[in-house]
Amino acid sequence: MMELLPQALTDGILLGGIYITIAIAFSLTYGVMHVIDFAVGEWIMFGAFTGYYLNKWTGLDPFIFLPVIFVIYFAVGYLVQPVIHRVLSGTKGNPFLMGLVFTFGLAIMFRGLALTAFGFYSNSIPSAFSEGSFNLDSIGLTVTIPTVRLMGLAYAVAITLILHYLLKKTNFGLGVRALAQHKDAAGLMGVNAKRTGSYVYGIYVGISAMTGVLLGCILSIGAQMGNEYTIFAFFVVVLAGMGYLAGVPWAALLLGLVQSIFMIYFNPSHTLLAVFVILYIILLISPRGLFGKGV
Amino acid sequence: MKTSRGAAILAIITAALLILPLVVHDTFVLRVLTEGIMWIGLAIAFDVIAGYTGYLNFGHGAFFGIGAYTIGILMMQAHLPFWVALPLGGLAAALTALIAGIPTLRLKGAYFAIATWALSRAIQQLALNVEFTGGPDGMRLEAFLNPLFFYYLMLITVGVIFLILWYLLERAPFGLKLKAIREDEEGAKALGLNPTMLKMQSFILSAIPTGILGGIYAYWITFIDPSSTLGDLVSDQAVVMVVFGGMGTLFGPALGAILIFAFKTIFWAYLSDFQLLYLIILGALIAISVIFIPNGLWGTLVKRKAVARPQQKPEPASEPAALSAVAVPEEGN
Repeated sequence: MMELLPQALTDGILLGGIYITIAIAFSLTYGVMHVIDFAVGEWIMFGAFTGYYLNKWTGLDPFIFLPVIFVIYFAVGYLVQPVIHRVLSGTKGNPFLMGLVFTFGLAIMFRGLALTAFGFYSNSIPSAFSEGSFNLDSIGLTVTIPTVRLMGLAYAVAITLILHYLLKKTNFGLGVRALAQHKDAAGLMGVNAKRTGSYVYGIYVGISAMTGVLLGCILSIGAQMGNEYTIFAFFVVVLAGMGYLAGVPWAALLLGLVQSIFMIYFNPSHTLLAVFVILYIILLISPRGLFGKGV
Repeated sequence: MKTSRGAAILAIITAALLILPLVVHDTFVLRVLTEGIMWIGLAIAFDVIAGYTGYLNFGHGAFFGIGAYTIGILMMQAHLPFWVALPLGGLAAALTALIAGIPTLRLKGAYFAIATWALSRAIQQLALNVEFTGGPDGMRLEAFLNPLFFYYLMLITVGVIFLILWYLLERAPFGLKLKAIREDEEGAKALGLNPTMLKMQSFILSAIPTGILGGIYAYWITFIDPSSTLGDLVSDQAVVMVVFGGMGTLFGPALGAILIFAFKTIFWAYLSDFQLLYLIILGALIAISVIFIPNGLWGTLVKRKAVARPQQKPEPASEPAALSAVAVPEEGN
């Protein structure tokens, strides 16, 4: 069994790399809106299916569609966010609770729509990269790296760098960080919470949808995949510490490792249980994340 | 609504429900009523933690399933009588609430909401994968086919649950303490309350009735499997009933439960080929209620005056209330 370990670790790191993208975007949205989006897994699922059908109709490689999917879902997110903003700035009831309930309702509705439209079957998206793989036998390791997973990691690194640049080097990013720190003070300094929120939500939905396509190429897609990824996104954000972006990559890699180790050594259907047990222990011992730097 | 008039209406409804089986002998009607009454119980139990305390438990169905499975396992494998197993079902749900609550109830509501939801998914996975629950095949209980018995058992159980919760939440100081936590946790702390302890008590108070109802359901339906008792539909329906009916009251969730359950029964009877449409409608109903009637039907129609209150701050770190301070109405309750 031990000879499989390098393979498990490699798979885990490559998969975890992809989770970084979802978790950073998810974390950003939480920072700006102060509400957890329960529909994160459903956005991933919608993106995956859009990629699947675009590939089916045009026959082109799904990797080519990534920008198209980003643009479509950016627009969707940009249009949906004002509704969430309206719920959050309501004067009746408890807006914070209502925001949570609202995204929960969206998630249920999206799942129902997807099950109606796509059925219960699971599929995978064919890509030119799914065939090839690199063998590391030459340097003495029995590890195979599928090209598609490597491309996934390259995508994850690119997205992370772009987001890093956006957040740290642009005025927009400054506004986002200010909003995350203190909403009212940011508003007084001239940050338009509404518009910035829409952009951030759009970016987040766009990235989630693109990542969904990659996950569809690497693993599989199905109308019920959303649940699992919502839990994964939450796992990464809690492990990193809510709102502590620097912790996200480590937490995402850990998630990838847990998942691949369970796939190889144990029953894959126990992954969710393992994820939950780790989550429980972290929340019990260090509720502010692995690094203790969350909010 | 004046208390005396409200009490009179409730007494009439209770009396009508008590004598109804003597008039109506149709088993289908009894069956529908029994399940409807069960949903009223589930919805008001969910509202204890969600509406009164302000902590959303999106995995409410887990307690229901745990209650059902506890009774199933104790009756079929340990051969305990139903009356011994039933309280143990409530106890199992309470223990689950305790274990799940310790790490999550210290934290903000968002953690709690998603952690309870993840817990319910994890418990479903567990039930699918271990031996003693029968896995995906589910579990068959000894059949005790007496619709009248279950009708009265459900009615009396839900009635007792309602009375206990009504006393604790609307008459005893406990309800006020929970509302204080919902409105301003820091403020409640400053008044000498222990929010973590109170939240735990309300979580357990919400879990016990749910577990017991799950137990009765298992014995009544005689067959349980992970998707019917631990699936997300139970939690989703509880959320929709409470949000649509009106959070933070006892009558709101009851009203929501009656309407949603009636809708579900009609939908299932005529459109059983479109079960997925039901899921879409549930989700849409949650979203629409949140946007248009954030106080729910009960809060909007019946308690219109009583619910005007200042805007809440979502987080200690950010206070949107300050931005719209001009628009905030005077303190009212």
